[in-house]
Amino acid sequence: MSLVTPRAAGTRLESNERRIDGDAKVSGAAKFAADFELPGMLWAAFATSPVAHAKIGSVDATAARAMPGVRAVLTGADIGEHCFGRRLFDRPAIAVDRVRFIGECVAAVAAETRQQAEEAAAAILVEYDELPALFEPEEALAPNAPVLHEHPERYHFHGGTRPSAPHPNIQGESILAKGDVEAAFAGADRIFEDEFTTPRYHGGYIEPRATVVWIDDDGIVHIVGTNKSPYAFREGFSICTGVPLEKVRIEPAYIGGDFGGKGLSVDEYPCYFLSRATRRPVKYVRSYLEDMRSGTVRHASRTTLRTGVTSDGKIVAVDAKIVFNGGAYAAGKPIATLVPGMDPKLPYDIPAGRLRRTAVYTNTVPGGHMRAPGDVQFIFAFESQLDIIARELGIDPFELRLRNAVRDTGSDLDGVPYLQPAALRVLERLRELRPRRPLAPGRGRGIALGVRHIGGGKAELSLRLDASGKVTVQTSAMEQGMGVFSVVQRVVAVELEIDPSLVSVQQLPAMDGAPVDPGAGASRQTHVTGGAALRASQRLRELVQSAAPEWPQRLDWHAAARIAAREGIVVRASFEAVHHHEPAEHGFCGIAVEVDAQTGQVTLHDAVCVADVGTVVNPVALRGQIAGGFVMGLGDAMTEELRVVDGRIENASLADYKLPAQVDVPPLRFVPIEGFPGPGPFGAKMAGEINTAAVAPAIANAIADACGARVHDLPLRAERVLAAIERVRGLHDDDTS
Amino acid sequence: MRAFHYHYHEPATLVEALSLLEGHGDSAHVLAGGTALVPLMRSGLVLPEHVVALERIPNLREIGIAPDGGLSIGALVTHREIERSALVERFFAPLAETFGRVATIRIRNQGTIGGNVIHADPASDPPPMLLALDAQAVIASGTTMRTAPLAEFFRGFFETALGRAEIVTTIHIPPPMRGARGVYLKFLPGSEDDFATVSVATVVHLEDGVCRHARIGLGAVGSTPLRARRAEAVLLGSALSPKTIAEAAAIAKSEVEPYDDARGSANYKRRMVEVFVRRALERLRAA
Repeated sequence: MSLVTPRAAGTRLESNERRIDGDAKVSGAAKFAADFELPGMLWAAFATSPVAHAKIGSVDATAARAMPGVRAVLTGADIGEHCFGRRLFDRPAIAVDRVRFIGECVAAVAAETRQQAEEAAAAILVEYDELPALFEPEEALAPNAPVLHEHPERYHFHGGTRPSAPHPNIQGESILAKGDVEAAFAGADRIFEDEFTTPRYHGGYIEPRATVVWIDDDGIVHIVGTNKSPYAFREGFSICTGVPLEKVRIEPAYIGGDFGGKGLSVDEYPCYFLSRATRRPVKYVRSYLEDMRSGTVRHASRTTLRTGVTSDGKIVAVDAKIVFNGGAYAAGKPIATLVPGMDPKLPYDIPAGRLRRTAVYTNTVPGGHMRAPGDVQFIFAFESQLDIIARELGIDPFELRLRNAVRDTGSDLDGVPYLQPAALRVLERLRELRPRRPLAPGRGRGIALGVRHIGGGKAELSLRLDASGKVTVQTSAMEQGMGVFSVVQRVVAVELEIDPSLVSVQQLPAMDGAPVDPGAGASRQTHVTGGAALRASQRLRELVQSAAPEWPQRLDWHAAARIAAREGIVVRASFEAVHHHEPAEHGFCGIAVEVDAQTGQVTLHDAVCVADVGTVVNPVALRGQIAGGFVMGLGDAMTEELRVVDGRIENASLADYKLPAQVDVPPLRFVPIEGFPGPGPFGAKMAGEINTAAVAPAIANAIADACGARVHDLPLRAERVLAAIERVRGLHDDDTS
Repeated sequence: MRAFHYHYHEPATLVEALSLLEGHGDSAHVLAGGTALVPLMRSGLVLPEHVVALERIPNLREIGIAPDGGLSIGALVTHREIERSALVERFFAPLAETFGRVATIRIRNQGTIGGNVIHADPASDPPPMLLALDAQAVIASGTTMRTAPLAEFFRGFFETALGRAEIVTTIHIPPPMRGARGVYLKFLPGSEDDFATVSVATVVHLEDGVCRHARIGLGAVGSTPLRARRAEAVLLGSALSPKTIAEAAAIAKSEVEPYDDARGSANYKRRMVEVFVRRALERLRAA
């Protein structure tokens, strides 16, 4: 059912929102997990594996147990095998007899102070019998490679049966096929084959993971943490620990940035066992180093992409293979295929194609979800190759995209038809924006296009109207930075035609009886939680109108509320939507660069993002998402890379893992396309993941436009650009990058 | 490990600070601005039992002209103060500009010149320019003061000639020749907020178009900040012709031993030394 209402709001949506949690965050009043202090609280610390792959010989905690302030030391042998995950529960809370990556938890300590806990953890002696370690998917997929998980049948697979895979070191695989691919290739005039790689990235959120776990006298386990999907986490926690679901309560707290990674909780599990053992609250706050190896980094990838085209640039067939380095555990991935992200969408009409995506176990930091998971890897490859094709065929890259853009009909590689394809209008808008003047030597322009589904899920919330006219929203949604409370406030205020200051939002724990929320992720919250807010507001509106029929025409809101809500009115509503059957959103990025041919240095001069965003609900938050998504894409493109050498993260600090700084961001124009409503409240679409993936290929294409050099590997470091320039000049035969 | 115990001392005089260092030996570490020491402590790379903060010691925060006409910069003068000092600007503007390239404004407001030289980070910005200006460290110990040219002070990877119970009180920079030109180039191909991939400071003096004095200081290309002495020698007596500049740049490239790291391979950094020495000298010739 459409959420576009005839009354929809007009000018009320145009003004800038005042962020509902802004004052609390600016003043420091907002409570994050690390801010929680409880009476009698202990601190946790963990002994972690210094080796990438080993049998645990023995764990000697005698000295640690005797140290001052220590209240409990737990090893895997003490608690037994309790594995957690988002879909596949393959990661132990504490390793039992084997470690599979550097940084894996082998013992947990609870002590009176953080320092005591850390000192005790350092005093735990662990004997490791090292095993051959596998660092790259290619090694792990060799026929005789050691099997990293020998008893997968013991792992819980949530919500179904784990699909079988052709190799025991495969975490999961997804194969999409459409049409007769080989026949289609046979009809191609030209076939292009290229390989592209992307490294691991960390989300770079401000707040490292933190948690406080305690068990009350009724046996209820309370968890303050950093998980953005409270109900999914609650269920997973119950399965992992054996605590009955109704005894698990995820407490409200602000989350200091997420970008996808905080769908996986890690430390909450050992902290629970420590709390159970000590009968006291247990707290843990990660350092950034620890967070970087927490197991939710973006997967490194290698994409082999074969594309057949006609001589006038029409794509006839695509065959893509993406291998993801999944790391030691698949626990961080929520999708049933156990590859990062849902089936990627392409904004092009592709008659026949095959896409195989494989995630592979290795003895490295586990991969997880991060903003536009899977897309950043695939779109970099696809949009880079489109420009390679355009240049080879002598067709303008813009024109090539126009020729292939999805028109009124067409379907994805998985055969799902497109609804409301927006590629053409995004490209048309871009054509109008295209600068006419020619570029100076050494300068180039690049474009890339992306499309992404709008996330679904089921959300509930309730509204309480009191006689004073104030409306209180109750929700279990987690605010991880996207501004969901402001979205909800705005939706309610607009639908009821009241001032937003009359609407407050109360966050409830995730527990039995509280409104269910699917959590932030897949850019779903405006759509789904906002959708529930609209449903509830519509219901409340009807109730007020039936009690006070003169509102809103001849009676003001306060008077109507006094009549309708003498005793208070509570309404509850839910909204549910699935992912695929909604119009997807298209985003586009165009960038101008300058390349220094002697050093390979790339300077960004100008960028524009065009996005078909549907109705804008919160204008300020939308600009934040577009700018933030661009900057995150810029980091992926230019500076960020978690360097993992022999399983060890070499740059596990924000001094050496370079997020873009303010000065690194070029002038950015954002051009929204409105007027094509989506499935969200008042016709909203999504914004969180729309432009990130298009940034890196746009820059790579701009570099190629500037100097003819094509870089197939992210990040587009100056050294790689220089090597590519020299390959073009024929000066350089080996790739030193 | 992030949390541990240490004793924090705030001596009021230099004598008191030196006697604390004397008394605690290797277990003591001097704290100036803390931009180097605190991250090292947080990461557990340096775990001093005694931290001797110099903050309360008078006279370490001054910039002045020395009797020889050179510049004296107290050890606790911050990067930002040097960057903005009118005195430094008049003395040798490229020196002020170099300090303006250190990290970010937040670090520049906190980090000090004394802390910077004793940290001896090969990738830091001030040392190449200080080397190019023949700067000296003035070092106090229990009973005496000595001076050490920075070219000898930087001994190895994060290692200096500073003795156990010694404190750098001042950086002294001899007066450059009238009309000397200088430039600092910091190559930042990734983020602007980063250490240099390579950095080059050059100071030259030309008389009637002939180079009579040349210094090339290099950063991020070896275990210490260093001078490209053979390249400097090529410039002397020349007219800084494009050919001479190219020759000096090629020689400078052979004088460095950079490491592979996230900012580039050793081979790339070596090549960038050639590019940036050439660019620096070209800039000075054109100046």
